[in-house]
Amino acid sequence: MGSKGPVDLEPTVVVEELHVGFAGREVLHGLSAEFHRGRLAMILGRSGSGKTTFLRALNRLNECFPQSETRGSLRVKLQGHWRDIYENGLPLPELRHRVGMVFQTPHLLPLSIAENLALPLKLILGLPRREIPARTARALEEAHLWEEVKDRLKAPAHILSGGQQQRLCLARLLALEPEILLLDEPTASLDFRAALKVEELLLSLKERYTVIAVSHSLSQARRLADAALIFRDGSVVQRLSRADLQARDILPTLLEEIF
Amino acid sequence: MNKWLTLLAKVFAWLAVAAVLAVVLLFLGFLVVRGLSTFNLGLFFGKTPVWAAIAGRLPVWHGIWPACVGTVFLVLLASGLAIPLGVASGIYLAHYAQGAWKRWFGLAVEVLAGIPSILMGLFGFALILFLKKTIMPQANTCLLLSACCLALLVLPYLIFMTQTTLESLPEELRLAGLSLGFTPWQNMLHVLLPAASRGILSGVILAVGRAAEDTAVILLTGVVANAGLPSGILDKYEALPFHIFYLASQARNEAELAKGFGTALILLLITAALFLGAYYLKSTVTKSWDQKDLLI
Repeated sequence: MGSKGPVDLEPTVVVEELHVGFAGREVLHGLSAEFHRGRLAMILGRSGSGKTTFLRALNRLNECFPQSETRGSLRVKLQGHWRDIYENGLPLPELRHRVGMVFQTPHLLPLSIAENLALPLKLILGLPRREIPARTARALEEAHLWEEVKDRLKAPAHILSGGQQQRLCLARLLALEPEILLLDEPTASLDFRAALKVEELLLSLKERYTVIAVSHSLSQARRLADAALIFRDGSVVQRLSRADLQARDILPTLLEEIF
Repeated sequence: MNKWLTLLAKVFAWLAVAAVLAVVLLFLGFLVVRGLSTFNLGLFFGKTPVWAAIAGRLPVWHGIWPACVGTVFLVLLASGLAIPLGVASGIYLAHYAQGAWKRWFGLAVEVLAGIPSILMGLFGFALILFLKKTIMPQANTCLLLSACCLALLVLPYLIFMTQTTLESLPEELRLAGLSLGFTPWQNMLHVLLPAASRGILSGVILAVGRAAEDTAVILLTGVVANAGLPSGILDKYEALPFHIFYLASQARNEAELAKGFGTALILLLITAALFLGAYYLKSTVTKSWDQKDLLI
């Protein structure tokens, strides 16, 4: 996508020659890509093509799994400074809240709705107690969830519907003020209506963040994405701009590539 | 054929449940019938005035009060030693140990679980003899030694329960905190341990029950028939299981034997009270965890 995006835009994430393997088996083979702030990039591909592993390389979550190995350069622009996230000692917790992640299924903390946001604010940012409610409310509003939960902030988070839970996970991220959002099939576990709401939210978020999303759905990519990477067997086989995605004649080849 | 087998299995399952229940009820009924008649202040304090005995101003003869106090101290001390060690080892095995080291450590815990309690008592006895001959001539069997040996005895229950509960937590719970930027330690303390508290509590209950009833370990490490209230953890003490054993083997008449049953009932009640205490502790922990009110 780098070549097809506007030339004047500097990327915020630059991946070069990324290799990731588990227990000696390589999953990503020398992948390179660039991502920009204010744009939503979508990663498409079959199951097992390395999409999730790629996302998890960006916040070093692969290291939470046994015998993972990562090589290559992965540079991220955080707060105006370029950081090689595998090299110059950005502390892991800081990297992970600046590069926030939403999973395929809502990964809630088994706590109340409010506490799901408050606990990370308290533990990670060390925010004083009195600042937490305002920050929580702001994040819930940003995630289009405030109206639905403002009267039951102390209810357990798991009573929310799937779509609400997923937006709660997004709100939890946004409260930590990340700069890059990693979304691993955020609508995969949702029904059509709930998925539409999350999509709406993503469109409103992409203005201010660098958004990198994994998806299974070509139509979703056509609705949301400014650029797309097609993954196959741990390599990028095609890079598409928004115009490419909208073009009608590309559909058959794309379907072939992805499914 | 298959239908008959299913029916047979069902009947067998029901019978098994009924048998277990019947045994428990019979056992409790037997204890109550034989022991309840001895329940009075005399059983606890003999002829010593109650308040003087509780305050420790007058010694208690022919009463089980010192043994009750001894058992409670012993269990609390042993749990206090074993619970932090056991939970920490369980965390280590579940989340940090890897490969061959994990296998060896796990094997060591299994071996520890298989050691008979009398051997643990012998170990404590030998340890004191060794200390006496080398660096501490004044060392003697005491409450602390018994508690240490009991702690070793119950350690495997705590380690197993902590490890298996932590390992059975869903992957997403572990990743949720880590992906947000919790340090592994914050994730353990604020997410995983509270989520595993129910399983860990089962381990604590097993451990407390085991520590309260064991006789073989304390027999060799410091319990005596008549010590009065222990004046410190380096003192000899009395304990209920040993007192029951003593009464059962030395009873000279029916009345003394009945006291043995009464004492057994008291031991059961004290253990039940400790369990209730553990439950209460757990429910307050999870409650404060579920409904933290940071927003108020």
